[in-house]
Amino acid sequence: MSTFSGLNTALSGLNAARTGLNVVGQNLTNVNTAGYTRQRAELSAVGMPTNGSLFTVGLKSGQGVNVTGISRLGDTFLDTRVRTAFSSAGYTNARADAVTDIQNRMKEPGTEAISGQLQTFWAAWGDISNHAGESASSAKLLGSANSLAQNIAEGYRALDTQWSQTRGRADMLVQEVNTTAAQVASLNDQIRSATASGHPSNELIDQRNTLTAKLSQLTGGTVRDLPNGDNEILVGGNVLVSGKQVNTLKVAGGGTMSDGQPVQLEWDRRPGVAVDLDGGQLAGTLSVLGPANGQKSGGVIAETAAEYDRLAETLANQVNAIHTTAFKADGTLGGAFFTFKPGSGAGAALRLEVGVKSAADIATSGSPNNALDGSMADKISKIGLAKDSPDAKWTETVLTTGAAVRVALQQDVAAGTALTNAMAAQQSNASVDIDEENVNLLSYQHAYQAAARVMTAIDEALDVLINQTGRVGR
Amino acid sequence: MMGRVTLQTMAAAAHRNLESSSAKLAQAQQSAMDLKKYANVSDNPSAAADSLAVRAQQAASAQYARNISDGTNWLATADSAMASVTTLLQRAQDLTLQGANGATTPAGREAIATELESIRAELLTQANTKYLGRSIFAGNSNQGAAFTDNPLNYTGDPSVTVERRISSGAQVRVDADGAAIFGTTDGDPVFTLLSNIAGALRTPGGDVTGHLGALDKAVNRAIDGRAELGTRQAQLLRAQKTNVDGAVDLENQRSSIEDLDLGKAILDVKTQELAYQAALSITAKVLQPTLMDFLR
Repeated sequence: MSTFSGLNTALSGLNAARTGLNVVGQNLTNVNTAGYTRQRAELSAVGMPTNGSLFTVGLKSGQGVNVTGISRLGDTFLDTRVRTAFSSAGYTNARADAVTDIQNRMKEPGTEAISGQLQTFWAAWGDISNHAGESASSAKLLGSANSLAQNIAEGYRALDTQWSQTRGRADMLVQEVNTTAAQVASLNDQIRSATASGHPSNELIDQRNTLTAKLSQLTGGTVRDLPNGDNEILVGGNVLVSGKQVNTLKVAGGGTMSDGQPVQLEWDRRPGVAVDLDGGQLAGTLSVLGPANGQKSGGVIAETAAEYDRLAETLANQVNAIHTTAFKADGTLGGAFFTFKPGSGAGAALRLEVGVKSAADIATSGSPNNALDGSMADKISKIGLAKDSPDAKWTETVLTTGAAVRVALQQDVAAGTALTNAMAAQQSNASVDIDEENVNLLSYQHAYQAAARVMTAIDEALDVLINQTGRVGR
Repeated sequence: MMGRVTLQTMAAAAHRNLESSSAKLAQAQQSAMDLKKYANVSDNPSAAADSLAVRAQQAASAQYARNISDGTNWLATADSAMASVTTLLQRAQDLTLQGANGATTPAGREAIATELESIRAELLTQANTKYLGRSIFAGNSNQGAAFTDNPLNYTGDPSVTVERRISSGAQVRVDADGAAIFGTTDGDPVFTLLSNIAGALRTPGGDVTGHLGALDKAVNRAIDGRAELGTRQAQLLRAQKTNVDGAVDLENQRSSIEDLDLGKAILDVKTQELAYQAALSITAKVLQPTLMDFLR
C-alpha cells in the first residue's frame, strides 16, 4: 500500500461528490422539462487491491469511490402503460369529437332544428286546409317547405364538410406519424452509437420516449426495446420503425363522402393492403370516415348523412303520395310537391327541392270541382303524427346520435382517466423532486467537504512524516 | 399504492383538480343562464325523446286551437246570417198573411209586393254572406257567390262539406248547407217563392194563400238550420276548452322535462363556486413550500 494512496482515495471522493453535485444540478435545472426523467450518479466503493507482490503485508482498506455511471430512473413498464393509455385515449377522443360535432350541428331539440321545421311545415298544411287558395297561407306553406328542404340540405352539407375536414385531418395525422417515426429512427441511431462508445444517452432516451408516446397516441403502435439500445415500433403487426429504418404510411381511398369508398391506412411500399390499427387518433379518425353500409354500422358521419337522405326521401314520398292524388283549384291533379334535382346515389338530401313553385300549383282538394276544399291538405298535415312519419324517423336519428355521443363521451372520459392515472404513475416515478434533490445537494456537499477533510488530514500526516521526523533533540 | 410525490405530480394534480372544478362551475353557470336541465340530447337521451314527443304534441295542439278558432268564426258568421234570414222570412210570412187578406187594397198589395221583393233581395245578400272571402253557404265552391240571381243558381256542392280538425281523430263541419236551408234541394228555392208571391200580389185577384204552406216550410228550414249550427258551435266550444286544458298540461309536461328550477340552478352555481375557491386556496397553500424555504 502506497504512502500516498490515501490522497488518491480522498481525490476519488472529491470527484464522486462533484459528479453527484453535477447530476443534482442537471436534475434541478430540468425540474420542469417535459419528458425529463430524473437521473442518479451510481457510486460504488473501490475495494482493496489484490496483493501485488510477495512482500506486501498487512490489512488494507479500500481505495475510495468510483462513479460507475449516471443512470436514468425510468420504468419501462410505466412507460408502456402510458403509451397504451395514450393509444386508447387518442382513439376515443377522435371519435367523441366527431360525434359531438354531428350532434352540435343538429341543434335538436329546437324550433330552428329539423324537428321544429317539420312541425312548422305540417302546421302550414293545417292552415292551408282552413284557408285553401288564400295567398297568405300558400306563401306560408311554400316558405316553410323551402326552409325545411334547405335545412335538410344544410344538415347534409355540414356533414359533407365535416367528412372532408376529417379526411384532411387523417392525412395530416399520417404525415405527423411519418415525421415522428423518422425522428425516432434518427434518435435510435444516435443512441446506439452513444451506447457503443460508452457515453450516457439518458437525455436522448427521454426525447425518444416523448416521441414514442406521441406515436402511440397517433397510431397506437407497440414499442419494443432492443438490447443494443435501439427500439422497434410495430403498427398493426408490421414495422414502422426498426433501428434507423422507417417504413412510411399513407391514407388511401375515398376523397369525398359521396364516393362511398372506404378510407384506409396503407404502407407506402405495399399499396392496396389496409393496415389494421389497434388504437390511436388515426384509428379513431379513420373509423368515423367509413362509408355507409346499409346496416347502419358504417362510419358515423356517412351513416348520419344517409339518415338525412332517408329523411328527404320519406318526406318527399309521403307528401307526394297524397299531393298527387289531390286536386288543384283548377280541378286538375296536383304534381309532386317535393322533387329531386337530377342525380343518383347518396346525397338525396342535397337534391331535395320544392317542386311546387306557385300557390296555384298547391293541391288541397279532395274533388275536382271543390276548389276551396282542404280535406287533402288536412290529410297531409296529419302525416307528422303517424307512426312511420318522417318526424318519427328523424326523432330516432336524433336519439341514436344522442346515445352514440353519450357512449363516446363516457368512453373518452374513462380513457382520459386511465391516461391521467398512467401519467401520474409515470410522473410519480420519473419526475424530479426538489426536496429530494436538495437533500442530495446537501449530502454531496457534505461528502465533498468530508473528502477534502480526509485529504487535509493525510496531507498533515504526511507533513509530520516528511518535515517533522528526524528532528529529535534539536 | 402511494407513489413518490414530487413538485410535478402535485402541480399536475392541482392543475387537474382546478380544471375539473372550473369546468363544473362553467357548466353550472351555463345551466343557470339558460335554465335548461340539459343542453344536448346526449346529456339525457330519454328526456330528449320525451321532449321531442311533447313538442310535436304541442305543435299539433296549437294547430287544433287555430282550427277551432277559425271554425268558431265560421259558425258565428253563419249564425248571425241565419238570425237575419229567420227574421226576414218571418216578416215575409206576416206580409204574405196580410196579402192573403181579401180586404187589402191594390195599393196595399203593391206595397206588400214591393216589400217582399226587398226582403228577397236582402235574403239573397244574407245567403251570400262571406267569412274571410269564403261564401259560408257555398261549401268549397270558389265561384264568389253562393247564389246568383238572373238566372237563380246555387253554385255550391253540398256533397263536400267544409270541415275543421279539432283533434287528431275528429272534424267538425263549419259551413251551412245553403242548398238545404234556402230550399234548392227540397222544393222551390225561397227566392223563387218570394218572387212568385210578389207576382201573385201584383196580379189583380191573385191569391197567395197557396204559398203560405211553402213559406212555413222555408221558415222551419231556416230555424232547423240555425239550430244545427248551434249544436256544432257548442261542440267547438267544448273542443276549445279541452284543447286549452290539454295545452296547459302539455306545457307543464314540457317544462318539467326541460326546465331547470331557478333555486336549484343558483344553489348549484354557488356550491360549485365554493368548491372552486376552496380548490384555489388549497392549491396555493400546498404548492408553496419546499425544503429551500427552511434551509439556510
